[in-house]
Amino acid sequence: MANVSRREFLRASGISLAMLGTGGFPSFAAEAKRKVVVIGGGWGGATAAKYIRLTDPSIEVTLLEPNKEFVSCPFSNLVLAGIESLKNLTMNYNGLRKHGVKIRHEAAIAIEPDKKRIRVGKDNLEYDRLIVSPGIDFQWDQIEGLAQAKDTVLHAWKAGPQTLQLAKQLQSLADGGVAVMTVPPVAYRCPPGPYERASMIAWYLQTKKPKSKLIVLDANKDIVSKAGLFKAVFKDYAANLDYRPSQKVEKIDVGAKEVTTDTGDKVKYDVINLIPPQRAGAIAVEADLVGGDKRWCEVDHVTYESVKQKNIHVVGDATIGLPVPKSGNIANAMGKICATAVASLINDKEPPVIAPGNTCYSWVNDKEAIAVVNAYKIDNGKVVQIEQKLTPGKSEAVAQNSLAWRASIWQDVLA
Amino acid sequence: MRKIILIVLKGAALVLTLAAQRVEAGPLDSPGAQKSLVCSACHGFAGNAPGNAMPILAGMNANYFKKAIKDYAEGKRPSPEMEPYSKYVMQFGLDEIADYFAAQKKPSHAAVKADAKSISRGATLATQCAACHGPKGEGDAERAFPALRGQPTGYLHAQMALFGGDKRKLDDAAADENKKRIFKGLGANDIADLAAYYATLK
Repeated sequence: MANVSRREFLRASGISLAMLGTGGFPSFAAEAKRKVVVIGGGWGGATAAKYIRLTDPSIEVTLLEPNKEFVSCPFSNLVLAGIESLKNLTMNYNGLRKHGVKIRHEAAIAIEPDKKRIRVGKDNLEYDRLIVSPGIDFQWDQIEGLAQAKDTVLHAWKAGPQTLQLAKQLQSLADGGVAVMTVPPVAYRCPPGPYERASMIAWYLQTKKPKSKLIVLDANKDIVSKAGLFKAVFKDYAANLDYRPSQKVEKIDVGAKEVTTDTGDKVKYDVINLIPPQRAGAIAVEADLVGGDKRWCEVDHVTYESVKQKNIHVVGDATIGLPVPKSGNIANAMGKICATAVASLINDKEPPVIAPGNTCYSWVNDKEAIAVVNAYKIDNGKVVQIEQKLTPGKSEAVAQNSLAWRASIWQDVLA
Repeated sequence: MRKIILIVLKGAALVLTLAAQRVEAGPLDSPGAQKSLVCSACHGFAGNAPGNAMPILAGMNANYFKKAIKDYAEGKRPSPEMEPYSKYVMQFGLDEIADYFAAQKKPSHAAVKADAKSISRGATLATQCAACHGPKGEGDAERAFPALRGQPTGYLHAQMALFGGDKRKLDDAAADENKKRIFKGLGANDIADLAAYYATLK
């Protein structure tokens, strides 16, 4: 044995000894283990971590996620209307641990692509391949007066404490009061999300505070997603919902309780829900994974490898260039596809060519929902849409489907 | 000596590789599993949908699976969700995906809660369905008729509502007439009883 080096043994065997478990070769196993690190335990990252373990259990997977619990953004608009509890949308990460994912509830401080390692606390975490699923961060500086007021002016666009705070503010709104919500310019997380929120708040006001009004200031020139369906819904709420397109908020004055739009309109509020412009999560910007716009990450459409950094893959809302919405369902699909690609690449195999799919439900009152569904294929290495279908209108059946969807996809991400 | 050791090692490695492959064959280690990756968002891992509205694909007979996908794609079964996804699935060809789901184990039925009287009434009503769906709701793989046993009540209910409203048709004209005749005799309670009966069958 002494004449045959460990390297030759490994080459001759053609396999990783780690596959054998730690049984007879503990020192070899430790050296041969292939490592994937996933940054971000949201819809994309948690799914990716789980599916790498499902695809090849010999790969060591570490997930970095500062939060101890996963809170679903989908369905959080229902919390604002008082018909869902945030507790029902909150899950732990124990399911991923059962798949052998190592979880560290810490944030990645910096990525060092040249050294293929990440700084976490005092440690350096090495990787063969890295999956970054950083979600979104807000561009506070795009709106005058917002950076100073960001702790009190709620976005509630990352489900969690702000969701509950905004629900409370809406409950405290006097009957006859004015709530204002703003829609950021595309691209932003969850294209139909603001309109679902507008519908749910309007339903709440219509039911509980009929003299009150919600004014929606949309930076875009029309409803961004499911436009026809939402327009029909908004008609039901005519008395309590004032939708104003092409009204980009540029300034907030929390003292005067007033926002100013790019047309010079000044709008007073009693409750404000300001959803700021967005970009990829900070770690992606700092690691230079973003493109010229300094906002979003361009990726290969088959493997989700960054076009800017080798061995680093990006999934979820932080990506750009695919004709897909920034949705939880897409992030989940990207997580699975990226996981199989990463497992293939680590094993020197050709990655499978798989396109994502998107199912997106929006509730519009306490019982009914609408939906849009998109199917895609890969054409010449690029994701192309093959079909989009909308529900004919709102219905209770669609709402029931959405509940089955959430039961299933939450398991797919976390269990 | 060195060469002999390497040859021996290569032989041993082959055995190890085979062993390793057997041990390491993960749940996604089939082309059908990889091609159906996106399905699990709604239909659960390996076709074990945990929700009430989506059908369980695990153990579904392959002929019926393929027929269902084609019917959705052609709009014969109207569904905003399944029309795009059926076209998505068809880009990969249907055989491997159908075989993959057919080979998966169905979940246990511990979660199904139904009133015993409702189940018993459903059992009586179900005699009308047995000619096509089998005496135990096992379906008929040969004729691509679906198994109904163990499907979620919500899904069964929704499909029966479509049949009752003549929004889902059968290919064979005589069979479709027969189906219409059966559904004409079924009220809302009957449909709930049938759904309860089939959902609890193993």
